[in-house]
Amino acid sequence: MGGVSIPSPRGALRVWQRNATIFRKYWKTIMLPNLFEPLLYLVALGLGLGAFIREGGINGLTYVQYVAPGLLASNAMFAASFESTFNTFIRLKIGRVYDAIVATPVNAEDIVAGEYLWAGTRAALYGTGFLGVITVLSLLFSPEALLVSSFWALLIPPVLLLVGVMFSVMGTLFTSLISSIDLYAYYFTLVVTPLFLFSGIFFPVEDFPAPMPQIAWLTPLYHAVNLCRALATGPSLSVLVDVAWILVFTAMLAMLPVRFMRKRLIS
Amino acid sequence: MNKGLEKKVSTDKTTLVARRLKKEYGSFEAVKGVNFEVYRGECFGFLGPNGAGKTTTMKMIYGAAVPTSGTLKVVGLDVRRHEREVKRRIGVVPQENNLDEDLTVEENLLVYGRYFDLPRKVVERRAEELLEFVQLSERADAQVEQLSGGMKRRLLVARALVNNPELVVLDEPTTGLDPQARHLVWDKLRELTSEGKTLILTTHYMDEAAQLCDRLCIMEGGRIISEGSPRDLIEEHVSPEVLEFRASPEALEELAPIVEDASDGVDRIGEALLVYTSDSGAVTRKAKESGIPIENSLYRRATLEDVFLKLTGRRLVD
Repeated sequence: MGGVSIPSPRGALRVWQRNATIFRKYWKTIMLPNLFEPLLYLVALGLGLGAFIREGGINGLTYVQYVAPGLLASNAMFAASFESTFNTFIRLKIGRVYDAIVATPVNAEDIVAGEYLWAGTRAALYGTGFLGVITVLSLLFSPEALLVSSFWALLIPPVLLLVGVMFSVMGTLFTSLISSIDLYAYYFTLVVTPLFLFSGIFFPVEDFPAPMPQIAWLTPLYHAVNLCRALATGPSLSVLVDVAWILVFTAMLAMLPVRFMRKRLIS
Repeated sequence: MNKGLEKKVSTDKTTLVARRLKKEYGSFEAVKGVNFEVYRGECFGFLGPNGAGKTTTMKMIYGAAVPTSGTLKVVGLDVRRHEREVKRRIGVVPQENNLDEDLTVEENLLVYGRYFDLPRKVVERRAEELLEFVQLSERADAQVEQLSGGMKRRLLVARALVNNPELVVLDEPTTGLDPQARHLVWDKLRELTSEGKTLILTTHYMDEAAQLCDRLCIMEGGRIISEGSPRDLIEEHVSPEVLEFRASPEALEELAPIVEDASDGVDRIGEALLVYTSDSGAVTRKAKESGIPIENSLYRRATLEDVFLKLTGRRLVD
């Protein structure tokens, strides 16, 4: 009766394929800046600022070793956030791509699910690219202190997929509520940037007085950073809590944008 | 999908049935309980000014709007209960161009075919045939933004046919096109009906409705105010001949009562006096005898525009 239903995996796949078709044509141009950005942070902060950080580093890691895995997580956040905000908005309001799709057997619900998966895929692709680059660079320049030192790091791409889906759900939620593209300035300034700065990428939030650590625990990127750092250096069982946190948070939020987007596409 | 349903449709002569179909947006009633049916193989038109409820009706047919009440069966299926299946079997040419600008002309068809779960081989063959059909084969690798307005519209028509639909819904298929481009689109649509496809189209152009539609309905303010073939509508509502007199407002004021006796009715539209009659000779004579200065007079057959004018008191395109 015009209500919201659970997305069909096949419909979601079709939307994913549409995006993949376009990505395949332009991937070199699209991916390059996304590889440079985390490298810039790594060089400026990891090596530059890191040079002033006293012997011993943080939790037994050199500063650059500490920062690098966190940048993997934030890179996934940025990739999925851009995809689910500007890119999704353009398909929704400017290109009217979704209007064309809902006239086919692919329903509005499937579109949103397909976009989640696509944002996750992009996050995983970028992350894998960056992971490859820093692994090779550190093998070449500092084999005695590798940036990625554990074989568990092979699990980082699927984790980034999950992280990408999580941030896609958040970004799509915002997109489904706004009518002007200018409002993304609020999302990036008030949500994405604070998460980037205060989720334990550049300094351990655990060492701050209450309620800083507690607040950080309630935010999504914090758990993604924990996970990536643990997988890069050799994890403990506590990472399961981070995985569970991400899964529960994503599942709780995922149907909201589906509902709102359906309302925008089907009157 | 469902064999039983397929069979039912193929023996049924009606492709679409709407009963007391209503659509409300908040307190605004866009479509106020309309009844109509569309028969297999015909071209059915919705004629009416902007805001009449034509597009809303189209959107309910292809699933972009959900009816508030009433029933709507498309290809034999209830649109609310069989959303996906209805969409699988119809084609849609929307009012606004929504081609995928990130894809080439041919890719637009290939990607669109995938939304219907068509096998790759099938879509590739269809895409080639359809580009041929809409005369875009040479532009297959062009970016969509490089196409002219008419070419984009033809590509939209091709895209709507990718799933080989039983019914094609076209919302203002030629609005904004130049005359040549319009005629090309019309030719293609005529070819489709001659192949046995059912078409539903909306338009606010009289000539388009007269050229293409076997039957049509006139919509205004969310209601269907009349329905029939173009010829029936003209015969039913207006006299066969129309005389248009142009003169100063005062002269027309004076002329109206004089010619009224010899006519079936007169209408004042701006600078012109329209006189409906079956005996134009008598009207012309009376006008001449009156000695009222007339700048210019025109004789023509009655058209759908006159029907619209008669029924709604205003011109369709203003």
